[in-house]
Amino acid sequence: MKLAVIGGGPSAFYAASRILSLLPKQSVNIHIYDRLWAPHGLVRYGVAPDHPEVKNCVHKFDEVAMDPRLRFFGNVEISAGRPSGMIPHNMHLPMSSILSNYTHLLFASGCTLPTLHPALPPSSYCMPALSLVHWYTQYPSLPPSPPLEDVSHVSIIGAGNVSLDVARMLLCPPSHLDPYDVPQPVMSLLTRSAVKHVSIIARRGPLEAAFTTKELRELMSLPNASMQPLDPALFEPLQYMKLSRQQTRMMDVLKKGSKSPWGSTPRTWSLDFFRAPTGLALPPSESTRRTPAELTLAHTKLIPDPEQPSIMRAASTGETSRLSTSLVVTSLGFRADPTPFPGLYDPASAHLRVNAGRIVTASGKAFKNVYSSGWAAMGARGVLAATMMDAYAVAEVIVSDLMGSVGDVKTTAVTPDTKLGDAAEMREEVWNLNEKPVDMKQPPEEVLQGLAENKIITYADWKKIDAEEVKKGKALGKERERMTWDEVNYMLKT
Amino acid sequence: ASRHGGVVRPEPGTGIKIHFNDSKGNLIKTVEANEGDDILGIAHEYDIDLEGACEGSVACSTCHVILPQEYYDILPEPEDDENDMLDMAFGLTDTSRLGCQVKLTKELDGMTATLPSATRNMFVDGKKPTHH
Repeated sequence: MKLAVIGGGPSAFYAASRILSLLPKQSVNIHIYDRLWAPHGLVRYGVAPDHPEVKNCVHKFDEVAMDPRLRFFGNVEISAGRPSGMIPHNMHLPMSSILSNYTHLLFASGCTLPTLHPALPPSSYCMPALSLVHWYTQYPSLPPSPPLEDVSHVSIIGAGNVSLDVARMLLCPPSHLDPYDVPQPVMSLLTRSAVKHVSIIARRGPLEAAFTTKELRELMSLPNASMQPLDPALFEPLQYMKLSRQQTRMMDVLKKGSKSPWGSTPRTWSLDFFRAPTGLALPPSESTRRTPAELTLAHTKLIPDPEQPSIMRAASTGETSRLSTSLVVTSLGFRADPTPFPGLYDPASAHLRVNAGRIVTASGKAFKNVYSSGWAAMGARGVLAATMMDAYAVAEVIVSDLMGSVGDVKTTAVTPDTKLGDAAEMREEVWNLNEKPVDMKQPPEEVLQGLAENKIITYADWKKIDAEEVKKGKALGKERERMTWDEVNYMLKT
Repeated sequence: ASRHGGVVRPEPGTGIKIHFNDSKGNLIKTVEANEGDDILGIAHEYDIDLEGACEGSVACSTCHVILPQEYYDILPEPEDDENDMLDMAFGLTDTSRLGCQVKLTKELDGMTATLPSATRNMFVDGKKPTHH
């Protein structure tokens, strides 16, 4: 097996780890590609800087990378359709080069696009939360910094953990972030931030919120920011319901409120439940100062979904209100990018079309030796543990297909007789991988060329960069100081 | 704390006995460890397939184990941070704990730690996680 993995985040490394440990003696080769020059995906570019323990998983990835059967190629974007072009200095590799050089393919490409709000288009007053996360992690597309010096009120639309992470970054005392992996330019702006209040706006109620208790507890514990107490009426209907353990614990944290009493702190925040944005009126552009915009909000109530009555949907009550705000951040989840692989994307689920680890056509036919794991396959849900479990399960499908079984479990292998995807169903070529590539070890010629021209980052390169980032950080009393592509290039050349 | 080499194997017959079972209840291995050793460290010392992604820092739920009621009751109550992680664990039960937080005492001699349902059940059950 010569496996190309598209995307080098946790699901790629966990899948590779499981495949290699299930086949300790076999000559299999796994090449992980990522358009980012650094490996590990969201572990480096998504996990909040003040959650460094979550990043301990990279030690396992480092171990996996020591297996000579695994190679990593960073700064390479692979596409069948147009490349996303999100990172200007990427080397582009067409899918045809992968298909002719590899026997197996695993899409571990994640969900890289933010879901936008139809009533809140991006503008100077409205940005996706992902742009903020990319800003404070110094993502290689280098998004512009938010105008925090001119903003006192921020509205975050969406009630998931990304919302709480962004709120915490904006509210916490900057000194809290000093020891962590927050780039100096970000720290500098956070120190000059004029943010006073963050409203977290949720379309439905506390039971429907997607955030989890740990992150909520962290916000409640901020020493310099207090939460506006919730209306007790919010909790009345819950008395009559059988709540799960998770829900009960979450409601207790919400009812208890923030450690610091409301109004006793320089910064404040609120959870505005049952509010759905309907529009954002921008101030006239003649003003030289950044004056607030006006967010219009529809008030909502819960009604059971007509088709799935156990799911509660938001319905408008007819009431509306307005909120004066200087920055709206939409935090509504993520979807896979259809651009690089248009034929594989399922618009209904917003991720790739996958069945039990295999990429399938719209009619459910599997492609031989083509798989997907992690968020690309599941959608943007689940923390590291869930992604790990999925990656392990997909790895077992891959090995079972190759060897006939894994332990005592037989999965349904795609045999040569299985009806393969109909070319007419896909919008580009059928995925005909090469059963007998010329070379079972080397990457495609273009990759060898790219390596020679210092356009591609290997895992060994990454470990040098990693050590240098930690060294720079140590001089500043912090976990690491991130390097830019230019700095990385300069360091590797000298 | 590092999960590598943290556990010293006691002389056979002198240590605290722990049985590791798979999700179906079959014995994987019976091992011995010392007072103060945690279940995750012990599993790694004896090559038992218990993951510890965050390496014992209560930042994930991958070392989730299921204990018998009588041993679960002996242990001190989980703290908020452990309970927050357990909330997210796949196949959570009333006697679930994070392995990295279960420290051995002599009273736990003979305890069974059961690993939760195998990963491939995710495809069979069609389970999808709901939080991120």
